[in-house]
Amino acid sequence: MDAFLTSRNVSDILFGLVNGVVYGLVGLGLVLIWRATRVLNFALGAIATAGAYLGLGLLSFHVPFWWCFLLCIPAGMVLGGLTERLLVRPLYGKPEINPIVAMVGLLILIEAVVGSIWGTQNRSVLPPFSYVDFHLGANVVKLSPLALFQVSCAVVLALAIGALFRFTNLGLQLRASAVAPEVSRLLGVRVSRMLTLGWMLACGVAAVAAVIVSSGFISGLTPSGMEGPFAAGFIAAAVGGLESPSGALVGGISLGILEAFVTDYFNPNLVLPYSLLVLVVVLMVRPHGLFTRQVVRRV
Amino acid sequence: MSSTGSQAPPDPASTAAPARRGGLAGRAVSIARRSVSAVPQSRQRHPVLYRLVATVLAVCVALVVSGMVSSVTDLDLATGAAMSITILGLSFLTGFSGQVSLGNGAFFGVGCYVFAIWGNHNNSSIGESLLVCTAAGALAGLIVGLPATRLRGPYLAGMTIAVAIAFGSLINQFSSWTNGDQGLNVQSPVTPPAWLANFIGAPISSQRASYMWRADITIVVVGIAFFLMANLFQSRRGRAMRLMRENEVAAELVGVSLPVARVTAFVVAAACAALGGGLTTLVDTTVFGSTFSLTLSIQILTLLVIGGIGTLSGSLIGGLLYAYSITWIAELVSGVGLNSTSKLGSEMNNIIFGALLVITVLVAPLGIAGTLRFVISRRLARRRSQN
Repeated sequence: MDAFLTSRNVSDILFGLVNGVVYGLVGLGLVLIWRATRVLNFALGAIATAGAYLGLGLLSFHVPFWWCFLLCIPAGMVLGGLTERLLVRPLYGKPEINPIVAMVGLLILIEAVVGSIWGTQNRSVLPPFSYVDFHLGANVVKLSPLALFQVSCAVVLALAIGALFRFTNLGLQLRASAVAPEVSRLLGVRVSRMLTLGWMLACGVAAVAAVIVSSGFISGLTPSGMEGPFAAGFIAAAVGGLESPSGALVGGISLGILEAFVTDYFNPNLVLPYSLLVLVVVLMVRPHGLFTRQVVRRV
Repeated sequence: MSSTGSQAPPDPASTAAPARRGGLAGRAVSIARRSVSAVPQSRQRHPVLYRLVATVLAVCVALVVSGMVSSVTDLDLATGAAMSITILGLSFLTGFSGQVSLGNGAFFGVGCYVFAIWGNHNNSSIGESLLVCTAAGALAGLIVGLPATRLRGPYLAGMTIAVAIAFGSLINQFSSWTNGDQGLNVQSPVTPPAWLANFIGAPISSQRASYMWRADITIVVVGIAFFLMANLFQSRRGRAMRLMRENEVAAELVGVSLPVARVTAFVVAAACAALGGGLTTLVDTTVFGSTFSLTLSIQILTLLVIGGIGTLSGSLIGGLLYAYSITWIAELVSGVGLNSTSKLGSEMNNIIFGALLVITVLVAPLGIAGTLRFVISRRLARRRSQN
């Protein structure tokens, strides 16, 4: 058992898990927004980073880490809600390219504003956990208390979102307004509110992903730090089909583990090219992703 | 370079027109008015000739301007011209086939590196290097464009974002070729090719001339590329693509092959981007790996949207913005009294462009060129209805 836990392959899997849950959460955020409003939110990473800065920035005022962490989520949610209300709402029903361009503009704007307030240097935001890996006898298991914290954060969050959608009245309304907005409106669901709420939830989830990314030992918090995770999260969501939350999570975790293997056996530079290859192959075989059923387009 | 320009080809019919008002000035005004009003007619009758004349005129004007301005401005002009052809490629892809790419910076980078590496290894002429880098860009476009046949709007945009980010790591992977962030120098000749030196007839040894000929070559090549693209815009294939963007089913019914049209658009856009990259390298003479981040791809899309999607003049406006915006914004920053190295000052460029992009989409989604064209055509229509 010890030899198994410390073997090269298991180490890779454990190492990839941390990145994997980040990609899964970003993918989950993308899926939530896509399902609710049919917009691919290119600014999700930037919004999440801004939320993380707002929350974790309080660390400089000696606020305890846990308070900062918890504040990141509402900060991200507020930013997400504002984005939907002010920027995305006027663009519903416009050509497909308009929201894409608007989100790209927001991405530039937020990254620049964050950089102009907090600077572009790396800010270290270490949580109160050790980054030293666990030991089994003389061997190292590629898992530290910090990594355990990061993974469990993501798991708790994913379970909470799942429970919200499955077991609560609010979740039912959210699902209904995503699937059939007209009918839901007739039945008394405040659909436009639900759309805003969908954006808020997604951005809150992404803010947690940003905290996980920045609380790593090396990475730290930078304005453009979520660009890479965003691309990987998109790949995860697209492999899952952009419609399926669980697909995005599974896709993200698999992608993270794949990355760890590529880094270990080949070269860290090839991580993203390989992920792209996976995306292309999956989409060539199943254009609508692995986790969704083919939708018939009507003329 | 053939924008919607108002240059009139010589029209012999208008010179024979009788003057309504007396005097030389009145006759001149009348002739001018008639030749201007003859432009749309000749444009319809001989479109290719019209575009050719317009391009030649525009290139000549640009060359004269390039000869008059200082060498710094001249180089800026050349970079802007090179970028405008990159933007034009994306304009074709987005405005005609309806696909959004956030990865054209990668094609631009392919052009830069192939131009530099091919030129250094084979000691080839500038023309050959440019052709090779354009072809390499087209090949890259084919590779990226093939999956695009099965992806739609947002999926495609997301995939191209990943391409843009992956390109940066590929540069590092092949750093023995690309020299990574250290920068790859182009061992290009400092003097212009002999035929150009003969043509200019200027003392080519001077510092000024050694910059100028690069700018001149860039302007001429960009002019040729704009002429070709202008014809493609109005060609059968271009119109088929516009139909595809408006209504895919209708396009399919009249016999447009959607996958072929999509991939073609990608190949053309990538070739344009690579040509722009090659020309930029010709002007800059150095290629740095850090240039080709996601920011570059986003910048290309930004300039396109602000300039105006699907128009030739929009791409020119975008190119000029690229060349001069940094200077303008730096002047603005110092004019307001901000320190350019402060946090706010150094981010001002992105803040302004991000805000402009958002505002453009919300207020004037046609961009500068499209909005101007819309306003002018509405005013003309109103005047016609009053008459």
